[in-house]
Amino acid sequence: RLAAGTTRFCAGIVSTARHVSIELKMADYSNKLYQQLEQETGVKTGYVKTGSISLAQTQDRLISLRRIASSLNVMGIPCEIITPKQVAQLHPLINIHDLVGAMYVPEDALVSSANVSLALATAASRNGVQIHERTSVSHVTVQKGRVTGVETDRGQIQCQYFVNCAGQWAYELGHSGEELINIPLHACEHFYLLTHPLKEPLANNLPTIVDPDGRIYIRNWQGGILSGGFEKNPKPLFTEGRNQLEIHNLQEDWDHFEPLLSALLRRMPDLEALQIMQLVNCPESFTPDMRCIMGESPTVRGYFVLAGMNSAGISYGGGAGKYLAEWMVNGYPSENVWPLDLKRFGTLQSSRTFLRHRVMEVMPLMCDLKVPRWDFQTGRQLRTSPLYDRLDAQGARWMEKHGFERVKYFVPPGKDLLDLDQSKTFYKPDWFDIVGSEVKCCKEAVCVIDMSSFTKFEISSTGDQALESLQYLFSNDLDVPVGHVVHTGMLNEKGGYENDCSIARLSKRSFFMISPTDQQVHCWAWLKNRLPNDSNLTMEDVTWKYTALNLIGPRAVDVLSELSYAPMTPEHFPSLFCKEMSVGYANGIRVMSITHTGEPGFMLYIPIEYALHVYNEVMNMGQKYGIRNAGYYALRSLRIEKFFAFWGQDLDAFTTPMECGREFQVKLEKGMEFVGQEALLEQKQNGVYKRFTMFILEDHDADRDLWPWWGEPIFRNGHYVGKTTSSAYSYTLERHVCLGFVHHFDEKTGEQLVVTTDFINQGEYEIDIAGQRFQAKAKLYPFSSLFTHRRRKDEVELSGCQGE
Amino acid sequence: FYLTPPQVNSILKANEYSFKVPEFDGKNVSSVLGFDSNQLPANAPIEDRRSAATCLQTRGMLLGVFDGHAGCACAQAVSERLFYYIAVSLLPHETLLEIENAVESGRALLPILQWHKHPNDYFSKEASKLYFNSLRTYWQELIDLNSGETTDVKEALINAFKRLDNDISLEAQVGDPNSFLNYLVLRVAFSGATACVAHVDGVDLHIANTGDSRAMLGVQEEDGSWSAVNLSYDHNAQNEHEVKRVKMEHPKSEEKSLVKQDRLLGLLMPFRAFGDVKFKWSIELQKRVVESGPDQLNDNEYTKFIPPNYHTPPYLTAEPEVIHHRLRPQDKFLVLATDGLWETMHRQDVARIVGEYLTGVHHQQPIAVGGYKVTLGQMHGLLTERRARISSVFEDQNAATHLIRHAVGNNEFGTVDHERLSKMLSLPEELARMYRDDITIIVVQFNSHVIGACQNEE
Repeated sequence: RLAAGTTRFCAGIVSTARHVSIELKMADYSNKLYQQLEQETGVKTGYVKTGSISLAQTQDRLISLRRIASSLNVMGIPCEIITPKQVAQLHPLINIHDLVGAMYVPEDALVSSANVSLALATAASRNGVQIHERTSVSHVTVQKGRVTGVETDRGQIQCQYFVNCAGQWAYELGHSGEELINIPLHACEHFYLLTHPLKEPLANNLPTIVDPDGRIYIRNWQGGILSGGFEKNPKPLFTEGRNQLEIHNLQEDWDHFEPLLSALLRRMPDLEALQIMQLVNCPESFTPDMRCIMGESPTVRGYFVLAGMNSAGISYGGGAGKYLAEWMVNGYPSENVWPLDLKRFGTLQSSRTFLRHRVMEVMPLMCDLKVPRWDFQTGRQLRTSPLYDRLDAQGARWMEKHGFERVKYFVPPGKDLLDLDQSKTFYKPDWFDIVGSEVKCCKEAVCVIDMSSFTKFEISSTGDQALESLQYLFSNDLDVPVGHVVHTGMLNEKGGYENDCSIARLSKRSFFMISPTDQQVHCWAWLKNRLPNDSNLTMEDVTWKYTALNLIGPRAVDVLSELSYAPMTPEHFPSLFCKEMSVGYANGIRVMSITHTGEPGFMLYIPIEYALHVYNEVMNMGQKYGIRNAGYYALRSLRIEKFFAFWGQDLDAFTTPMECGREFQVKLEKGMEFVGQEALLEQKQNGVYKRFTMFILEDHDADRDLWPWWGEPIFRNGHYVGKTTSSAYSYTLERHVCLGFVHHFDEKTGEQLVVTTDFINQGEYEIDIAGQRFQAKAKLYPFSSLFTHRRRKDEVELSGCQGE
Repeated sequence: FYLTPPQVNSILKANEYSFKVPEFDGKNVSSVLGFDSNQLPANAPIEDRRSAATCLQTRGMLLGVFDGHAGCACAQAVSERLFYYIAVSLLPHETLLEIENAVESGRALLPILQWHKHPNDYFSKEASKLYFNSLRTYWQELIDLNSGETTDVKEALINAFKRLDNDISLEAQVGDPNSFLNYLVLRVAFSGATACVAHVDGVDLHIANTGDSRAMLGVQEEDGSWSAVNLSYDHNAQNEHEVKRVKMEHPKSEEKSLVKQDRLLGLLMPFRAFGDVKFKWSIELQKRVVESGPDQLNDNEYTKFIPPNYHTPPYLTAEPEVIHHRLRPQDKFLVLATDGLWETMHRQDVARIVGEYLTGVHHQQPIAVGGYKVTLGQMHGLLTERRARISSVFEDQNAATHLIRHAVGNNEFGTVDHERLSKMLSLPEELARMYRDDITIIVVQFNSHVIGACQNEE
């Protein structure tokens, strides 16, 4: 039945106050869509523009709200930060004594979610869509990796495309066919309260209240209130499958609701005398990273998914539908939806135990403060390097990417950091000095970083097939002498980065490809779908076979040459070179003269059984050169101050090499056609509409001011021109560095114009961090003085693709 | 002077101990899930003792509480030794031979018992050699006696009790060249102790009781309520059968002097006990032992004192009364406790409190609004009250601790009153004994699934 799932019980709040920019865009589209829906379809949707107020009980919360306010404002969505007094004027019942401020979004709305669905269905039917209600899908039929039809209890239906938007049933439906589609989501009980009307019924245009510190939301409902929340101790359900067939209102659990009820009465003490109507318990589905899931399955073409709304389905519904429709019709959506792409997950996130534990963490997080550098605590230690225990014993602190544990930094013995909860901050973090000393060691001596999480593929063929296919799929020229490493983009038809990787030519006919950790599923699917179906051409995922150690620093040369009895100086081992050699007793170590940071050094790809040996040898030998362990935070600081873009953070499918100063990684005249060539040629002729730029914050005090993160609006001569994509403190410059894209909007029409080098260089820039603007200096090229070795320009390694 | 709840908790939890029977392959094959035990002293030092052990050469588990009087020496000795005597009594002939051969040839001994002890429960190192020799003599006699019959648990328990008491008596008469040990064996013999011991093997539960400690079975009725079944009889003046027995054993002329002021010979509360040779030996023997004994013994008025109307000893025995019970799935737990608990609480209350504790009182009915008119404020009040109630229950991780909390802190409404608890626990040493006795509790939890499965097999 339509809207019979969680939609039927949805609270119907349409709110654009979102942290992630793509979610914000979806919510904005939904809001505008619902507004005109009644007029278009004649179906009453109950749309009321009430506005919403998000309350802050702490200064940190207010900072968080200010950040959202900044991004809403530059998108043209009205929004303001207001004082507690103004809150009281907007809503009569609120107790404001414990508030420090609030954010008011006047255009947020309320709808009846079931009626919105009905209106959408009506509109669809008018355009020829057939809707079969009360029909159950038993499975999806697949032939040769493509969807061919759907088997239902009322017979077969032929189709080319299938969209699994079965909400909390999506996981099971994905597992029902022969070809498993992993859709990692898990249901949790969600409670909200309905009351009878007040003596003096509440107006139906009263703003919705969100009190994240109290973990609750409150909206007016038929003269009374509707209030629910996201408790600290959620109750996950249906872990073992056996989901109910039709959604029912589950058992009410008042004891469980008690903390939320206390928060409600604290916020609105006058409600004490209000009569209870019902406590509704409707399951909601949550995903492992709090973002919804959409896109095409990596294994079955034509199988699309849209599910896991993390209880914001009504806010995202309209926008998500739009992007998915574009995706199905055009082959790609009109915005970068990588943060929501199904392919960011693999099979490893589909364990029911993992999902159960993770959603228990995710649901309370809905209300928790979103601070920079936050890591999930559940579902950890799944994929680890063989060196995990060794590093852990030396004080490693860990973060996780795609299930892989990676070191953030090493806490020196005798030094303690703050507890997890207390370490949450928007200001200078407690590890500042620790990372500083790791960076210093990378610059002056040598550091070793375990970077085993990278996705590693080997592509080889009997003849020239591998080279030919890769030349077509990658923008740089891969027909290089054996032993050379090439940084290259894997572009789409529009010239945008689908992946950014380093490829080593191991032999005439085989290549070793290194991509970011979370590319494991996406890149595999992309290549699988495009490589010719030729049994003489093989591609293997060898991620698990190698441990990767990054030796960074001027003394890396000395350590490695002592261990291998081979000269490693630039004359013998030039930059961007790859060679199998022995290190210690171990033979067959792939040594590459890249470090992903622009610092001198080497990457060592070690067959895992030698990992411990090589690590021990390196550490022993390195002692006299002052070697130490370092983590990804140091790496990040190094790569950002060198202006290295990183795929997934700075680069996405809508960014071309031309737009980020990487023309030198594109060989337009390599003698054969490649994907995205046309688009790049056009850009080369006509110029680009955005430009990747580096900003150095001028009047920013790292000790006292809020730190930049990413997503901060950039202003040029007072006008909004784009957003930052990443930032880090540069210990060398002793300044914050932000990377981001600069657009050129026509002042009158808002139309996008070509961005020229002059345009970038001739502006005065400011970066807006939670409402406070800091002056910034824009640069299009990194500081050359930072380089210790001068190299020819095209030899300069500008990758950084494998950053965080 | 007032104790805060954490202070109260630290006093109550000081002696708590829990043991969970380990599971094998996810299946717990033992009918015992585990046990919780705890003691709260009133005497300084405490005169109660407790023991728990798993028999390694036969099946089954042994648990016992021991209430000492006139000092703790006897209770301590019994708590160390009794289970060895029981275990040896239960051993088949071949195993006894094997053990004897091992000792003879100086080989390593088969372990007989696996103890489950709280760190405060100690064994006396000095006496272990002496105790071991007595035990060895016992099993040597058992080997010689070899009846060829399989050992009956009831008989084994009775024999073990009697034999140990006999050994205590003999050791004191023979004495020991080591003056410390000599004094120790005399103190053991001249003090006394009651014992209440449970032996659980599959569905067979045996309770051997000597004295006024008590064993009680907690039974869950079909409607979920709790009831108590006594598995022992107190041996004291309140027990008619016991009074009759004592009178039968002595000439009619002593009838009046036998039980005075509800005490044996007007002196002793329990009618059966270990040690207490003053009620067992002849006057001549007592005088001889005391005179030849160390000076400390002679200076002690109590040991020199002969009970009045002391004509036909022995007046006291350590022979236990043994009750056999076949466990049923509704038998959920067993409480063994010294009289300190039973003086303050009725067994029915004990059954209810432990039963509710073990099944988790969060079994509280969930609230449903239904068609009632409830305001948010009322609901909030109700919920906060429920929350407070639940948290006090979950303070205790140990059923025995929970029971002591109730025994000491219960007010007239049967709920724990913190103020009362605080007052009772902060009494000065010399006053504490006036308001309460030492309390020692073991709560054994049964595995209904295993018991049910055992029943079905038979």
